[in-house]
Amino acid sequence: MYPKAKQAWLLLAALVILALPPMQRFLEQSMVMHMLVQIPALVIIGWITGKILPENWKDNIAPWNRWGITGIALAIIIMTYWMLPRVQDAAISEWPVELTKFITVPIMGMALGISWPQLNPIAQGVLKLEFWATFMRLGWLYLDLPDRLCANYLLSDQRVFGQLLLLAGSIWAVAWTLRIMFGIRIVNT
Amino acid sequence: MRTFLATFLVVIAGSLILWVSTDEGRAFTAEEARRLEIRETPRPVPDWHLQNQDAETFRIQDWHGHFIVVDFIYTSCPDVCLILSGNLKTLQKDFSTEEKSDKLRFLSISFDPEKDTPQRLKEHLSHFSADFRYWMAARPINPSQKKAILDFFKVIVIPDEYGGYTHSAGYHIINPDGKLVAIFGIEQTAELHTYLNQVLKEKENVSKS
Repeated sequence: MYPKAKQAWLLLAALVILALPPMQRFLEQSMVMHMLVQIPALVIIGWITGKILPENWKDNIAPWNRWGITGIALAIIIMTYWMLPRVQDAAISEWPVELTKFITVPIMGMALGISWPQLNPIAQGVLKLEFWATFMRLGWLYLDLPDRLCANYLLSDQRVFGQLLLLAGSIWAVAWTLRIMFGIRIVNT
Repeated sequence: MRTFLATFLVVIAGSLILWVSTDEGRAFTAEEARRLEIRETPRPVPDWHLQNQDAETFRIQDWHGHFIVVDFIYTSCPDVCLILSGNLKTLQKDFSTEEKSDKLRFLSISFDPEKDTPQRLKEHLSHFSADFRYWMAARPINPSQKKAILDFFKVIVIPDEYGGYTHSAGYHIINPDGKLVAIFGIEQTAELHTYLNQVLKEKENVSKS
C-alpha cells in the first residue's frame, strides 16, 4: 500500500505544480506548450491515477464499464470538447473553464487508463488509427489555414503546432510500419 | 446492461454539452462566438471618454443617433489594420452622400495608447484620406479604460514576434440607440456593405414616417 500512497502524493503534487498561476501562464503562452505539454501532462496524471486506484474502487466501476466501453466513450467526449478552439480560448480568459480543464482532462486520462487495456483489440486498432488520422488531419489543417483558430495565439504558433502534429503522426506511422513489417518494437503502441 | 446504460448516458450527456457549448453547432471559435452572441443579444455600449486625433475628449454618446462602425487599430500596424482602415476608406467613399454621412460615423480605436498620440492618430487618418468630420481615431485615456473597452467588445490583443500586435480584426456596428448590434469579420466587407445599406435605408424610412 505504501508505494501507492506515495505515488498518489506525487501525482497530486504534479497537478498542483501545473495549476500554479506562473506555471499556467508559462505553459499557456504558446499553443504548442498548451496543447503538447500541459494537456498531455494532465492526461498522464489521470492515466497513472487510474492505474493506482484502490482495487475495491476498480471493482465497483467494473460492472458499469465492461470491455472498457463507457470509459472510452467518456474519454472521446472530453477529448472532442477540448478540441473546440473556443473552449481553449475560454480556458485562458475565464477561470471556471480553466478549472473545468484541470478536472476533466485528468478524468479523461483516468478513463483511458482504466478502459484501454479492457478494450477489444479490434476496437483498439480502430481508435488508434482514428487518433493517428486526427493528428494528420489537424496538422495539415493548422499548416494550411490562413486564419487563426484561437484568438489567444499567433498564426505562426498555429503553423508550428501543425508541423509538430504532422511530425508526431509520421513518427507514429513509421513505428507501426517497422513493427508490422519487421517486428521491431521501438515504442509500445 | 449496466455498461450499456452508463455508455448511453455518457453519450447523451456529452452530445448535449457539445451541442450547447458550440451554440447549437454554430460557433466553434471564440471569434464566431462573439459575433453570434452580439447578433442575438445586442448590448448597450458604455459611455467611455476617449481622446481623439485633435486631442479633444470624445464620448461615444456624442454620436448618439448615428450608426457607428468601430474598428480596432494601432498605428504602427503593418498589415491587418491597414486592410481594416483601407476598407473603411472605401466605405466612407461609398456612403459619402451628405444625407448618409449624417447617419453614419466611423471610429478607429487604438489599443496602443502609449504610442498612439493624437498626432499619430491624425497621421493614420490622413493615410486613408479620411474625412475628419465623420471618421475619428481615438485612444482610451487610461489602462483600466482600455481594458474595459477591449473586454466589452471581446477584442483579444496579443503581442507578436515583431514587437507589434495580433488582434481580433473586425467591424463593430453600434446602432443609433447606442447598442452594439453586429460584428463583421475583415473578410465580410461585402456583407457589411449590404448590412449598412439596409439599416440606413430602414432608418431613413423611420425618420420620414
